[in-house]
Amino acid sequence: MGSFAALLRKDLRLELRSGQSTLALFALSLLILVVLVFALSPEPRDRAEASAGALWVAMVFAGMLGATRALLSENENGCIRALAMSPVDPAMLYGAKLAAAFIFMTVAEAAAVLLVVLFFNLDFGPSLLRLAPPLVLGTLGFSALATLLAAISGRTRAGDLLLPLLAVPMFVPALIAGVKSSAAALAGAPFSAMSQWLGVLVAFDVLFVTLGGLLFEHVIGED
Amino acid sequence: MMATPVVETHALSKSFGETPVLRDVNLKLFAGRAAVLIGGNGAGKSTLLRILGGLSRPSAGRVTVFGEDSLSLSHQSRRRIGMLSHQSWLYPNLTARENIEFYATLYGVPHSQAACDRWLDQVGLLAVADERVRSFSRGMEQRLSLARAMLVEPMLLLLDEPFAALDPDGVAMASGLIRAQVERGCAVAMTAHGALQLDGLELEACSVARGRLVPYGEESRGGRVRSMPGR
Repeated sequence: MGSFAALLRKDLRLELRSGQSTLALFALSLLILVVLVFALSPEPRDRAEASAGALWVAMVFAGMLGATRALLSENENGCIRALAMSPVDPAMLYGAKLAAAFIFMTVAEAAAVLLVVLFFNLDFGPSLLRLAPPLVLGTLGFSALATLLAAISGRTRAGDLLLPLLAVPMFVPALIAGVKSSAAALAGAPFSAMSQWLGVLVAFDVLFVTLGGLLFEHVIGED
Repeated sequence: MMATPVVETHALSKSFGETPVLRDVNLKLFAGRAAVLIGGNGAGKSTLLRILGGLSRPSAGRVTVFGEDSLSLSHQSRRRIGMLSHQSWLYPNLTARENIEFYATLYGVPHSQAACDRWLDQVGLLAVADERVRSFSRGMEQRLSLARAMLVEPMLLLLDEPFAALDPDGVAMASGLIRAQVERGCAVAMTAHGALQLDGLELEACSVARGRLVPYGEESRGGRVRSMPGR
């Protein structure tokens, strides 16, 4: 666990010093939400679905930016090569990068939820707490997918282009489940209305966390 | 009894696409010995070091390090390899001490704080240990990279142009550190553009010419060696 803690501490320290990822995530979320709130101008009865959709669009785009940035520090000066050569288990390396991406995204999402409530004129109430399960599960799944894909795209010349091309289609099942369960949460629907969508998110998380842990060695491995 | 080599390559070849970089390289590195791979830009020296470190897959042939295949090294063997690359492998927004302590933790270096301070002192960076690497000159980065590679007390040290960007004091410091590693029993392979002389250290020199390993000085004859000279 010493290596895991060292890897995570290093990523958090780098982020605290530059603030690039979290600030970029927040700025992009703000921009997307401003555009969507004026574009949709939802009626009161449509607010839950529109705000859930806007929140997840912001999350996906901001998450891609965050995942790319989280691996930039490793590619600068070739540090990813040093990690690949080190005696640390690649699955642990992946776990630490995933944890860092999850933390950055969660911080940015907390701000995005606040903006959604303000822009879409939602109530500060228990329904916001009910957003936590789909958001946490969705963030974990997207972090798992984006961390793996960012490591792959970081080794290619057109990496910045490749990441959204790969990530968005693969995230569609979780995106649909996330939007549906978030809309149900914001509309105050019973938990049973969310549960099947939460099941999809759990399955997505299990799949991509496992895949990432198994494949990361080959992604950062030898040329 | 013949000593077991730390590194051994068998008919090693490497190509990038259609371009061959290394051809039929047979090489042995032994504990407590230092070898210099000499060649011009693009000769294949760095590629050979990367293959020995398990960072690049050979196109043909086999590489064993500590008796294991270089592409599937155990954690125990990885812990015993130190490498200096063209890139510094340092985080610019961390301080020198934070960089060194990070790698010390990954490699499980005992008493890591004391070891880090000792290495920072040995490479002459203790006074600037708490400054970010981003503010360092290329030579200071090279010194810190040398400390990073050596603090793990490796038994195989792969050094890609270890004297690049160093001032005369730095060259003397690096020479002393390399000599100390060899005397400790470490196998050292390093690259250079020309002949090297390190005081008090017998070096086995080879040239990498047109992708082949040849005894130093015999490049024009196009000869081949099956192992490092002097073995």
